[in-house]
Amino acid sequence: MRTAVLLGFRLRQEVLEWSGAWSFLLTLVVQAVVAPLIGLFVWSAVYPDDPAVGRYYVAVILVTLMTESFEQHTFSETIYNGTLSHELLRPQPVVLGVIGTNLAIRAWLTLLGAPIVLLTAVSLRVGFDWPAVVRSVPYLVLAAALVFLWTFLLSLTAFWTDRVHAVVGFGGQVMFLLGGTAAPIGVLPDGWRRVAEVLPFYGMHGLPASVAAGTQVGGSIGYQLSWVVVLVGVVVVLWRAGVRRYTAVGS
Amino acid sequence: MKLLRLLGAGFSMSLRRSIAFRVNLVFDVLLAFTGLGTAIAAVLIVFTRADTLAGWSKAQFLVLIGTYQLITGLRSTFIDPNLSWFPETGIRNGKLDAYLLQPASSLFLASLSLSSPLQLIQVVLGLGVLGWGIADHVPTVGGLASWLLLVIAGIVVTWALSVLLACLAFWAPKLQLDVFYHSAWQLGRYPTDVFARPLRILLTYVFPMALIASVPSTALLRGPQAGVLIAGVAAAGGAASLAVLTWHAGLRRYSGATS
Repeated sequence: MRTAVLLGFRLRQEVLEWSGAWSFLLTLVVQAVVAPLIGLFVWSAVYPDDPAVGRYYVAVILVTLMTESFEQHTFSETIYNGTLSHELLRPQPVVLGVIGTNLAIRAWLTLLGAPIVLLTAVSLRVGFDWPAVVRSVPYLVLAAALVFLWTFLLSLTAFWTDRVHAVVGFGGQVMFLLGGTAAPIGVLPDGWRRVAEVLPFYGMHGLPASVAAGTQVGGSIGYQLSWVVVLVGVVVVLWRAGVRRYTAVGS
Repeated sequence: MKLLRLLGAGFSMSLRRSIAFRVNLVFDVLLAFTGLGTAIAAVLIVFTRADTLAGWSKAQFLVLIGTYQLITGLRSTFIDPNLSWFPETGIRNGKLDAYLLQPASSLFLASLSLSSPLQLIQVVLGLGVLGWGIADHVPTVGGLASWLLLVIAGIVVTWALSVLLACLAFWAPKLQLDVFYHSAWQLGRYPTDVFARPLRILLTYVFPMALIASVPSTALLRGPQAGVLIAGVAAAGGAASLAVLTWHAGLRRYSGATS
């Protein structure tokens, strides 16, 4: 209960802080939507008569906005500039602040990106089956957890290297390719598709988008949950090792 | 000539600084490989389902990606280290003041004095992909010459766009459009014919990403066209002149970070 209250306070604080940076948030929205928009244009050119392509990619854009994570900028910078020390001294888990910032940025991106999603859907005359959209909510929640855990995990490498942006950039490329943004995984060659269905990246964008678009009816919650458990385990191990290695600035 | 010597000296110093950090070199090489690999893989997936995309075959797409990567590599090597986040580093932190006190051109110092030599890896990889693309379709001498001319024009336009973006900081120091610019840059990896008409017009005439890769690649593959060459050179000249004029107009407005 105390954790939830603290998280609520942090979330409120971060939402207010980020409200002053709306122009920067807008550039982040553009950054988030470019890759799915390219996928939309490319696959619409390949399948011009298939309305499922437009529906799927509109869903991918929304899922991307709702799950974006920037821990390499928010959390890793606290390691580089030493302000992580302040967080470590507080009587609360450090990750609470990280999650609060993450949720605040996602909320703003969703709000500011909604017109783009709407405009794309209207211009493509995309219609959704609303029960399918409702069914996609648990998949979306787990996707949000997976993207956060994956980005946070890679951002923890800041304890060991100053090239965290390159590390997270690599993680982003894998997500783009195997997560259903470069192409819906249904159109991947067989070998690639089997690999993509096993790795966690499909659960980050492609799966919730497929369920919302109605191209996949259900199942696979267990697949997402399993990866959440695995990633939480790895994050905990890496966090403990990282904090042991961390030497505060000025010590 | 003096500016070229300055460019060479700056590059030499940057190179010596860069190779002192070997782990960073490994990261840059890996990221360049994976970045290009991802782009190629995304295109190869398309060609498992279609023979052509917007009229471009797989080999032609490889030429496009190679050209895009080449110009992106040159941008990352010579332009980005200077003009990325210029409102923050140049204006708000006062770095521009130091350039203004030096005897060389302030525009040169602010836009080309620093470099990131390790990013040249992208250029090498881009040339490799380009070679892969034209392996079965050797271009004519005229096509190659016009490609080279249009690549140079593309680089000039890239530099001019970066300068114009940086110049916005003279009027709106808090406006930071770098993320937006880098996002829009990604659209250059695809032929403009792929995009919907309004976006295609925008990418051809307003934010000329078509000139970065699509136009030079078309010249290489389909041979030189006088009209395209003249338009490319005119666009480069016009963009460079506009960048220089805007820079000087911005400087007249600038009163120093500490004033």
